[in-house]
Amino acid sequence: MPQPLPQEAVASAALLRLEEVSWRAPDGRLVLEEVSLSLAPGELAWLRGPSGGGKSSLLRLINRLAEPSGGIITLLGKPLAAWEPPQLRRRVGLLAQSPVMLPGSVEHNLSLAFGFKAAQGQAAPDRAALRGAMDRLGLQGVELGAEAQGLSLGQRQRLALARLLLLSPQVLLLDEPVSALDPESKELVEATAVAQAGEGRAVLMVSHQPPPQASAMRRLILEQGHLREEGA
Amino acid sequence: MSGAVDIGYGQLALALGFVVLAGGASLWLKLGLGRDLIVGTLRTVAQLALMGYVLLYIFAINQAWLVLLLFAGMIFFAARIVAGRVKGKGVPVFWPVFLSMLLSYMVVSFLVTGVVVQAQPWWDARYFLPLGGMVVGNSMNAMALSLERLFGEMTNRRDQVELLLSLGADPREATTAINADAIRAGMIPSINSMMGVGLVFIPGMMTGQILAGADPLLAIKYQIVVMLMLVGSTTLGSVVAVSLARRRLFTPAQQLRPGVSGTR
Repeated sequence: MPQPLPQEAVASAALLRLEEVSWRAPDGRLVLEEVSLSLAPGELAWLRGPSGGGKSSLLRLINRLAEPSGGIITLLGKPLAAWEPPQLRRRVGLLAQSPVMLPGSVEHNLSLAFGFKAAQGQAAPDRAALRGAMDRLGLQGVELGAEAQGLSLGQRQRLALARLLLLSPQVLLLDEPVSALDPESKELVEATAVAQAGEGRAVLMVSHQPPPQASAMRRLILEQGHLREEGA
Repeated sequence: MSGAVDIGYGQLALALGFVVLAGGASLWLKLGLGRDLIVGTLRTVAQLALMGYVLLYIFAINQAWLVLLLFAGMIFFAARIVAGRVKGKGVPVFWPVFLSMLLSYMVVSFLVTGVVVQAQPWWDARYFLPLGGMVVGNSMNAMALSLERLFGEMTNRRDQVELLLSLGADPREATTAINADAIRAGMIPSINSMMGVGLVFIPGMMTGQILAGADPLLAIKYQIVVMLMLVGSTTLGSVVAVSLARRRLFTPAQQLRPGVSGTR
């Protein structure tokens, strides 16, 4: 089961804040230009935009896999640079666009993050917890002992999401998590994103799909490096 | 003490016939290697002649500082060769290579001359330079293999490394598997040559000692020491070089450097 969020997350008005963040790719191209965004606990933002518009780069900056060329990003009021990178990355969980699995079983892939130094004090989930995390994402047919790299793209996409959710991050950055899914699994993953926000997490989800009608959420567009609220 | 038949300068010139043969093949088959053959031949003669006179001089005065200086010089050139071979995607590796060579080759050479052979003193040029030279010459290939594998795998498995970082691994944890692959790549050739020695080839040092009139059983003892010391020096060199180099693949913020992670 997902762990409850610490009080500090709930108390903070803005869990995640980006102020005039710019990013220049190593080839010199300006990919993001003065992007500002604030996400509160429990907030779900649906981000779309043309390919190559900088959506993935934006998520990588928030997970600190890359460094902004300008501006500042804060988590819980503290600049990203003030966090230990492994601790930061566990709080700001990134689901990359292509689901990467290491050689080995599904079980190994689901629990590998609990073997790191940064996981000290955090109990590794048992097999029942792993099974539950998979079942909630419609992976009932996948054995824990199966070779993870041999699964279909859609299965790997959901497995990668299950792996991330097991860490209970405070912010979820989901980069096109439904791109390879059938309609049923797509609904399941979208409902999961909504439920995660309902538990107090801030969720930023990149998707080319139209958002589910029923849920209240912010709609953002990232075009040519500029971020704006849809309709604004 | 030399039992080998002397080679006169005329006879030495006869050996040039082998190069003429290669040059003829290059011309006939349009290999375009003529220039390289000429330069290679001149460099071989000049570099070995220089080495011969330097050794004559150093053996004659036999001073510790001079022996160690020459050894450091050999390592400097070996490190340049390895750093040039490893195109590290904008990650400079000369210093990690030089430092790991200096440390590991110095330790192994000292153990061999001072502890195993028990030369008096341990830095005696007649023992330290040939044995140390073999450590450098044979182990530098191992180090190049290790580093090539390290950089190659970092490029091929970049997505896996970034996945592990994004899940909260530190750079060391994110590269554990790649690190082991890289070190293994450096160690395997010296292990393989232990398998083949005496069956499929007679090593150069043993050949030299036998030509010089040494008892083959004495030559074998030296050769065993050399084979074992090469396993030690390739292991130590690869471990130190790979761990120094892999740190340079990451920024202080524990991100893959742009040259390694590509552009996104």
